[in-house]
Amino acid sequence: MIKVLNLSKRFGDSEVLRDVSVEIKKGECVAIIGPSGAGKSVFLYCLNALQPHDGGKILINGTDIADKKTDINKVREKMGMVYQNFNLFSHLNVLENIILALVNVKKMPRAAAIEKADKLLEMVSLIDKRYSYPDELSGGQKQRIAIVRAIAMDPEIVLLDEPTSALDPTMVGEVLAVIRDLAKQGFTMIIVTHEMNFAREIAHRVLFMDEKGIYESGTPEEIFVSPKKPRTIAFIKKLKTFNYNVSSFNFDLIAMCARLELFCGKYNIERKTVNDTNLALEEMITYILDHCYKRLQTPNIDIIVEYGDIDKKIVIEIIHNGTSVNPFENIAFMADGEESDTEDLGIFMVKKVASDINFTNEGGLSKFKIKI
Amino acid sequence: MDILNKIQESLYANLIAGKSYLLILSGLKITLIITLAGLFLGTLLGAVFCAMHYSNSRILRSISKSYIVIVRGTPILLLLMLLFYVVLAKTRMDAVYIAVIAFSLNSAAHIAEIMKAALEAVDPGQIMAARTLGFTRLGAFYHVTLPQAGAYARPVYQNTVINLIQWTSVVGYITIADLTRVINAIGARTADPFFVIFIAILIYLALAYATYLIFTLTNRRKRALR
Repeated sequence: MIKVLNLSKRFGDSEVLRDVSVEIKKGECVAIIGPSGAGKSVFLYCLNALQPHDGGKILINGTDIADKKTDINKVREKMGMVYQNFNLFSHLNVLENIILALVNVKKMPRAAAIEKADKLLEMVSLIDKRYSYPDELSGGQKQRIAIVRAIAMDPEIVLLDEPTSALDPTMVGEVLAVIRDLAKQGFTMIIVTHEMNFAREIAHRVLFMDEKGIYESGTPEEIFVSPKKPRTIAFIKKLKTFNYNVSSFNFDLIAMCARLELFCGKYNIERKTVNDTNLALEEMITYILDHCYKRLQTPNIDIIVEYGDIDKKIVIEIIHNGTSVNPFENIAFMADGEESDTEDLGIFMVKKVASDINFTNEGGLSKFKIKI
Repeated sequence: MDILNKIQESLYANLIAGKSYLLILSGLKITLIITLAGLFLGTLLGAVFCAMHYSNSRILRSISKSYIVIVRGTPILLLLMLLFYVVLAKTRMDAVYIAVIAFSLNSAAHIAEIMKAALEAVDPGQIMAARTLGFTRLGAFYHVTLPQAGAYARPVYQNTVINLIQWTSVVGYITIADLTRVINAIGARTADPFFVIFIAILIYLALAYATYLIFTLTNRRKRALR
């Protein structure tokens, strides 16, 4: 259905895609994942010639879309597209949004178009909103309307460009539910997404894009459970860790804690462990900022929190480039139960909640590894 | 009662005597002709300059740009005098035509700028969405860009129309008997210009209000499909 041969694309001097080849069969649901800036969206835009490509060939049902003789509008009619920012027509109400192309491009009689739109609106349970204007709808509703607008044209292929990225977290679910429905109906779909669990659930095949092309591809199991190539492995691992960088004395502690909570929430980590992790992180950062950096220096502290699926323990890694000090050395000999006279009460507390602390210093970088 | 009598006398002298009201009506007609013709031609010409701004040819683009900069920066009265006393002086063209030309040229520059701003305000994502639904470039322009740009341009365009009506009051300088000039003549004749000037202000006010009404009444957002 879609055949891409040695596709390349550049913007000015920077190459975005190089030698991308892939074939997508009818009824297949393909998820594209990868770090931002890997050319995922550009690839999607190339497929329906919203972005002209520079080299290679794209065949849609055997038609070369770059061919001068190809009527690109006819090809696009067969390809629905859903955007991150919905792109609903703001001057038209919901019903008019859906029927505009049906009436003017497909030349469908108005009454028939309205009937069809109503049927689809009922499917996404937005029939009540048929006379609302886009600015009166929530993000989730807008995206569902945008999906309806795309599939009303009876496309053979549906392209979705990060359909949930611009949504409030509470609205992601309703949009994913609609997309899941489409997948069940057997549409050929290509979806660029950051919703990894969703990609894993609905995709028949996952393409991991990096280094200007399809870096690794395979079934969801192959990519998410046992990736083979280094960048994929690193990417998948990063999904399972919490990363934060402290680059100022006045870093946003509350935001960091909130994000850590969110991370812990994903794994149903025990309340006490979460609190301990929070405490350890906060005390360690305070200590490092106080003792390892001078006031005018720019701190650079990398924090990586990982949750071990097997031993159910949290591992905090803190790496900084300041003066190398190991506060745990000094309090190591302090006997249990004895009143602490150290001024670094924080460090004492970290020691109490941690089950293992490891300190190394290599090449100017100090590294703490703390197990909670 | 003295004052009322005086007012009555003054009104009679200014409006009725010598059929002054006919003079005022003919002046109003001239004002309306210059305004409407200037607006119509100015809008067409403005669209041309706006289109030139988006053309692929660098020459056309720079012509459009310099035209807008020069004409927008030139007082309309000077433009009027330039055409009347210099450029078109030898043609013996009717002064009203010259005024229409001047106001068309002037409003074209303003309107081109309004159109540019309105077109740029349209979300390119929506145009892209129209293209992916299979619309041609022209189709997307007609069904998405134009209605939205029109809505953005509307209030500013309305402003331009009202300004234009008032600016036409300077055409008296090139011998045209428009509303303002007629009022001036009547006032000079009766040596009692207060009421007649007051009435002229009311007429201009009514024109501005009529413009406002026309724009408002045609701006009802359709809430339901028919």
